[in-house]
Amino acid sequence: MGTCEVTLESLPRYPEGKEILTCIQCGACSGTCPYGEVMDYPPRRMIAMMRAGMLEKVFTSDSLLACVACYACMAKCPRGIRLTEILLPLMKEQTLTHLPELPGELQKALQNTLRYGNPMGEPSRKRAAWVKTAGVPIRILAEDPRPADALWFVECYTSFYPRGQDNSRATARLFHRLGIDFAILGNEEKCAGECGRLTWEPGLFETLMDYNMAVFQKYRFNRLVTSCPHAHNAFKNRYPALGFNWGLEHTTPFLAKYLDRLKPLLARKLDCTVTYHDSCCLGRQNEFYEAPRQLLQAIPGVKLVEMVHNRMNAICCGGGGGGMWLDTYFKAKGYERLSERRVREAVATGADVLAVSCPYEVSRFEDALKVAGYDKQMVVRDVTELLAEAMED
Amino acid sequence: MRTGVYVCHCGTNIAGTIDVHALIGYAGSLPGVALAREYKYMCSDPGQELIRQDICDYKLDRVVVAACSPHLHEKTFRQAVEQAGLNPFYCHMVNLREHDSWVHADKPAATEKAMDLVRAAVRRVKWHVPLERRQVPVHAEVLVVGGGIAGIDAALTLANAGKHVYLVEREPTIGGHMAQFDKTFPTLDCAACILTPKMTAVKAHRNITLWTYSEVRQVEGYVGNYSVTVRRKPRYVIEKLCVGCLECIQACVYKQAKVPDPFNLGLSKRKPVYIPFPQAVPQVVAIDPETCIEFKSGKCKKTCVEVCAERNAIDFKQQAEIQTIQVGAIILATGFDVFDGARIPYYGYGLYPNVYTALEIERLVNASGPTGGEVVLRDGRKPASVGIVHCVGSRDLHTNRYCSRVCCMYSLKLAHLIKEKTGADVYNFYIDIRAPGKAFEEFYNRVAEEGVVFVRGKAADVYPAGNGDGRLIVQAEDTLLGMIRKIPVDMVVLATGLEPRADANDVRRLFNIGCSGDGFFLERHPKLAPVNTFADGIFLAGCCQGPKDIPDTVAQSGAAAAQALALIDAGVVELEPNTAHVLEDACSGCKTCLPLCPYSAISFVEEKKARINEVLCKGCGTCVAACPSGSIRQNLFEDEEIFEEIDGLLASAAVGGGPVRIQGDL
Ligand SMILES: Cc1cc2nc3c(=O)[nH]c(=O)nc-3n(C[C@H](O)[C@H](O)[C@H](O)COP(=O)(O)OP(=O)(O)OC[C@H]3O[C@@H](n4cnc5c(N)ncnc54)[C@H](O)[C@@H]3O)c2cc1C
Ligand code: SF4
Ligand code: SF4
Repeated sequence: MGTCEVTLESLPRYPEGKEILTCIQCGACSGTCPYGEVMDYPPRRMIAMMRAGMLEKVFTSDSLLACVACYACMAKCPRGIRLTEILLPLMKEQTLTHLPELPGELQKALQNTLRYGNPMGEPSRKRAAWVKTAGVPIRILAEDPRPADALWFVECYTSFYPRGQDNSRATARLFHRLGIDFAILGNEEKCAGECGRLTWEPGLFETLMDYNMAVFQKYRFNRLVTSCPHAHNAFKNRYPALGFNWGLEHTTPFLAKYLDRLKPLLARKLDCTVTYHDSCCLGRQNEFYEAPRQLLQAIPGVKLVEMVHNRMNAICCGGGGGGMWLDTYFKAKGYERLSERRVREAVATGADVLAVSCPYEVSRFEDALKVAGYDKQMVVRDVTELLAEAMED
Repeated sequence: MRTGVYVCHCGTNIAGTIDVHALIGYAGSLPGVALAREYKYMCSDPGQELIRQDICDYKLDRVVVAACSPHLHEKTFRQAVEQAGLNPFYCHMVNLREHDSWVHADKPAATEKAMDLVRAAVRRVKWHVPLERRQVPVHAEVLVVGGGIAGIDAALTLANAGKHVYLVEREPTIGGHMAQFDKTFPTLDCAACILTPKMTAVKAHRNITLWTYSEVRQVEGYVGNYSVTVRRKPRYVIEKLCVGCLECIQACVYKQAKVPDPFNLGLSKRKPVYIPFPQAVPQVVAIDPETCIEFKSGKCKKTCVEVCAERNAIDFKQQAEIQTIQVGAIILATGFDVFDGARIPYYGYGLYPNVYTALEIERLVNASGPTGGEVVLRDGRKPASVGIVHCVGSRDLHTNRYCSRVCCMYSLKLAHLIKEKTGADVYNFYIDIRAPGKAFEEFYNRVAEEGVVFVRGKAADVYPAGNGDGRLIVQAEDTLLGMIRKIPVDMVVLATGLEPRADANDVRRLFNIGCSGDGFFLERHPKLAPVNTFADGIFLAGCCQGPKDIPDTVAQSGAAAAQALALIDAGVVELEPNTAHVLEDACSGCKTCLPLCPYSAISFVEEKKARINEVLCKGCGTCVAACPSGSIRQNLFEDEEIFEEIDGLLASAAVGGGPVRIQGDL
């Protein structure tokens, strides 16, 4: 299918719709959903209501807003029903249109993204400001449009947030030391728009897709590398419909391919115990489970320990599907914050570093550690940050 | 030439799409056709009688039946023709159903295609020559592969009928999975009580040659005349001399057993010299060369040999033995493997010690098992609550799509046994309870009455309780309550499904049979030939054909034994005559065909000419097509017959649409 025009009405005509008819109502989806307990209609019941012709009732409950698009239900569905990919976004769209008004935080983020190309509402002319602080040369295509091997799509959090910029600086240093021929779009870049899709603002998503595709077409490069798993998802699943056919990599598995060259550079011993949080998009959606762990284990002095829920069974940080901008809303509803649930598991491992591969997670987990009172015990680091730290200059 | 053409309606299967009136009208106008008829069901008795009568009344000398697949009814119609005094190979079938009416929707076009097909057949059948089926004698012995309950039962049935049976079992003992159970559903009769008498009967039966610790290496020949090579692995104990006193096990220099015991699934240990379980058949020990000190260093005191003394049964120099046997029929009863619970990461098998598989619990509840029948956790505690997780590795497209058929029932059985032995609260996490056998639903009722709890929902997650009390949480949506439940338990039991044996594909190739999509051995017909395979003379029994319980397994092994008996007691088999033969004068001796024959049916005589053993030839035609000088011919596929059929098929195209163009190399 691969396009946005499928609607709930047209769904039964597609194979994906027929797939839904095979649901055996086993409840594995609802049982594994991190918010299964708070939803009025977790996935299984939603399908049951759909079959009974009572979907209207589902839409009048706002509980589907709690879907954080974590792919957990989809990964365990014994019938392989593509819940997170197809059914849930369609349902969420309807739920949103039935709401009297969008939760304020989310509305603001979407408006910002439309107006400024990033959810924080930062001016787009400052997007590449961090480059000056990187300490290594970074080529911006608008200034120097020669072909590049890798186009690094930096994304929003990693361009504007101070802690996100740490990740970008680390990535730049790693790329530089590995001798990768890379360049960025600088101020021309805009959010890939995945968050818009999963909160279902398809109009917004399409505007951003068209914009970014037009920019890509101006330049010559072989592959696109991004440190944002959500952007990676958008490029992988949505952009091809518009002709996106470059190679595509996420920074973490990308760097893992250079492990042999990377290892001799990792000379500084870090002496820490690390537990790795699998990002939903990178893990369950793309099954990159081992690459980040290989990278961490290549760092001298790192002891890797696992949380109870890891790999395909990891618990979401709560940031997907618009969850990034629903914290206030969830709090008002009395839902437990998933990032707090997750850091409690992380702390229980005895680790002192929580390693991540998604820019959403740094701020979410740092905040959760503070709220839960663990910020003295544990720090959050992107895998790239740890690698860069271990790399002697 | 006087050809009769018979068009079958097959109810509406054919007549619903093809205009049969038009078709017989057309067929009747073809040169050489004496009459053309239609009938609702040609394969029925009156249908066949119609053909027989016409052959006599109208002196027909060729018959074309346009009906279903020859696979289904070629035999039927050839027989009918034969009964009327005509050579059966003067009859030819056209597959109107599978090749035409079932696959087309456009009626006029389908009718036109039917005309083409019938015309081709009428022109082909002209060239048919009378052929004779050959009869070859059948060996009266039967090979049974696998000594689980299926193989045991089939072997005993055949042996009781006076046939000699070779029973080949891979493990050092027969018994299969059933030997590992304590009780069996739904009657809860003791597995050993009903199985061991059969096992000893096998050993004692004068018509059974039992080869345990053995494997089939090679299979040659054809129905009624299989030549099978069996490798008997060395157990380093001379079977004839060992009396099963087990004194050597006592005497072994290992005072403590050190090696995980596979029969107890690693829940206990065994010594390098062992007997799988007390009632093993044969009662003969075996020595594991991987762990025996004598094999490692050659410096053991060999206390086992000392105690065996004048019985002299231990032989460290024993070599594998190769046996070749001739059998008429083969029954495969190689059973199943249990799904590996560790393949589902979120149930924690292999990670949390208190997560068990059902088979492990079978050993725990077993009086001769590692705990003497006590259901205890690895630390010796009795569980106060137990969660049984259904459908592990079944009904799930990430693992196996099919339902394993026995897990619901054995889960009920284990729930009952655990409750009986520990008084624990037992929770069954299920999707559907499948209890469709005799007395099964009643058993479900009984277990529910005993207070076993049923939570309708597939377990979504198993993880340690956060409070550090060592319990595990089973998390599932109780779909009947519409709420998520997190039930703390001391023990989790995974109802792991049944899978094809890991080596099923190798075994399949060895015996030249097929596997269905799920990986189990493929039966010839799912309803009407459930124990036959596509290889004549090779039959299936038990779980190697698909998951099933013991009653179904035994029913199937009886059926397989009956099929083998029917074959053997006929004394001879008829071989189809559609084999290839070499025109010796034309053969240049180039040997092109020699390596191509998949059945090794071609040999070289006088270093000059190829010769085909008609008995081995399966009529695949490979050599016929390959022979550069065209000196291999095949009955029923003579060049004239094939070319005439092609010309017939394309005749309408040649008339209507100009010259026929055929693309590609011919
Ligand atoms: C946990 C559990 C509990 C069960 N409880 C019950 C119950 O209570 N009641 C019930 O009716 N059913 C029960 N069943 C089902 C029952 O186990 C099967 O119906 C039965 O074992 C099938 O017998 P089989 O002979 O086909 O296969 P198996 O028991 O698997 O025997 C096959 C034999 O073939 C041998 N073999 C395999 N490959 C080769 C080879 N290549 N060459 C030579 N030998 C080979 C094996 O070593 C084995 O001895 C249960 C199943 C499980 C998993
Ligand atoms: S996991 Fe799949 S089959 Fe089971 S209830 Fe959910 S959607 Fe249906
Ligand atoms: S027809 Fe096939 S089986 Fe027969 S001899 Fe030729 S290659 Fe062998």
